[in-house]
Amino acid sequence: MKFILNTGRTIRQGKYIENKLGQGYAEETSLCRIHPLDLLELGVEEGENILVKSEIGEIVLEVLADEGLPKGMVFISYGIHCNSIISPRTHGTGMPDYKIHEVEIFPTSEQRKTPTEILEQLGGVRYAGN
Amino acid sequence: MQEIKDMVCPFCGCLCDDVTLGIENGSIVSTDNCCTIGNAKFLGKNRLKNPIQKVDGKWIDITYDEAVDAAVDILLDADRPLLFGWSGTHGEAQCVGVHMNEILGGVIDSTTSVCHGPSILAIQEVGHPGCTLGQVKNRADLVIYWGCNPIEAHPRHMSRYTTYADGYFLDNAFRNRKVIVVDVRETETAKVADEFIQIKSGGDYAVLSSLRAILRGKADMIPASVAGVSKTQLMQVAEMCKTCSFGALFFGVGLTMAKGKYKNVRNAIELVDDLNRHTKFTLTPMRGHWNVYGANEVFSWMTGYPFAVDFCRGVAFYNPGETTAIDILARKECDACMIIASDPAAHFPRACVEQIRDIPMIAIDPFQSLTTPLADLQIPVAVTGIDAEGTAYRMDGIPIKVKKVMDSGYPSDTEILTRIYQKMLEVKGL
Repeated sequence: MKFILNTGRTIRQGKYIENKLGQGYAEETSLCRIHPLDLLELGVEEGENILVKSEIGEIVLEVLADEGLPKGMVFISYGIHCNSIISPRTHGTGMPDYKIHEVEIFPTSEQRKTPTEILEQLGGVRYAGN
Repeated sequence: MQEIKDMVCPFCGCLCDDVTLGIENGSIVSTDNCCTIGNAKFLGKNRLKNPIQKVDGKWIDITYDEAVDAAVDILLDADRPLLFGWSGTHGEAQCVGVHMNEILGGVIDSTTSVCHGPSILAIQEVGHPGCTLGQVKNRADLVIYWGCNPIEAHPRHMSRYTTYADGYFLDNAFRNRKVIVVDVRETETAKVADEFIQIKSGGDYAVLSSLRAILRGKADMIPASVAGVSKTQLMQVAEMCKTCSFGALFFGVGLTMAKGKYKNVRNAIELVDDLNRHTKFTLTPMRGHWNVYGANEVFSWMTGYPFAVDFCRGVAFYNPGETTAIDILARKECDACMIIASDPAAHFPRACVEQIRDIPMIAIDPFQSLTTPLADLQIPVAVTGIDAEGTAYRMDGIPIKVKKVMDSGYPSDTEILTRIYQKMLEVKGL
């Protein structure tokens, strides 16, 4: 099914702003909020995983029902997960389409990745600490 | 436990200056008056203890002297470096950054380009009918939040300046002040509004234009529904705006990141202009980082342009869409990067993050962020508002001194940038 992807701040995402390598941040930024009727149409239940696909790539997220969203729109909090599927095109403004990006969603049995795992996949190296 | 009052919170553009901190054994153990996010920032742990450098794919600990030398080497080796971030540091450090960029002939951009950059483009076209947050608190009997969700992004905005704040010139401000929320989804803020306008995604421009048409006496032209909003509701809202004594429109990235981008903001400014023919109305962008407004101010004083300033011609050049960080990275144009006080790996589209990975990159940040694993060098610094002081600009353009509460031994952003800059001058014989 096709959706409009909307991204933005959530208070939980903000709370982990200085601890982005932790579990709390990973949980919050990998949640995809979606209208309960859309969930029904997708055949997915709250807490299950979905694959969100755009022209740029794809990412696995966990769904959370949210009646505040209009049908046909999904919301993901700011973070590396949503940015993995957002195009860098800015239409001459410097600003990507963070609020209005077309995506396609499918049920999946794949597991979510943590931000660290996504970064390691990109070739990043985590500093173990001192 | 020692209590320190009237500290300034270095998280969002509200710059709440009434925070009380509890200090025990040289660290902050409690906060009062802070929102959840500010509290997490003050109590943040896991700061890097010393500079780190990636050598052959592995991190090693290095000294500050070695870190400064390595940063100078990376920056001077580059033909077109990008100096990005700046919104989470103080104005004095931003000044050094601009000087540094002039020597390097690179591009300096702040997080503005991915938050309210489009608002600035609109303001440059038609002006900014703004006012201070104090004016809003004491006078506004109507507040509009358009494309923003302060309950989650600026958690104390409503209690300090608008909905739940007392107003000196208002009787019973809490009950009499009306709040309108315009958004594509029913956010927590929308739930507490007197009037919630839910528009279809990408419909902001049409709704703004419809309100302007109604205000100019052209209501007959409006169809029964505009971007999912009924004409009846539009008429009602236009009347609320027209008949208030002092209205304040706050808008967020819901306008700047959606379809239409800076044209949405331009239309909002022109709506405020139209409303000023009937009553007093002002407009304020809800700035995210605590000193993102400061970055715009500093860059403007020093270069003439508020963000995305390119010095490759030897003089300042500005063309958002071309000289903005996202575009430069997406075009794979820059060959080195210095990231300060921001975390682009978490907030930039993947193509831009991949470019950051592929070029030498220096991160200057007190904490490990998602940018750290992709960096070649990270230099830990003091946190302004905790162990460093400096100037910051609140979302309404008011400069506020952000205080220092303890001495941790970390260099401030200004100190570390000055060391890099001076070494750079030395190497270049300037």
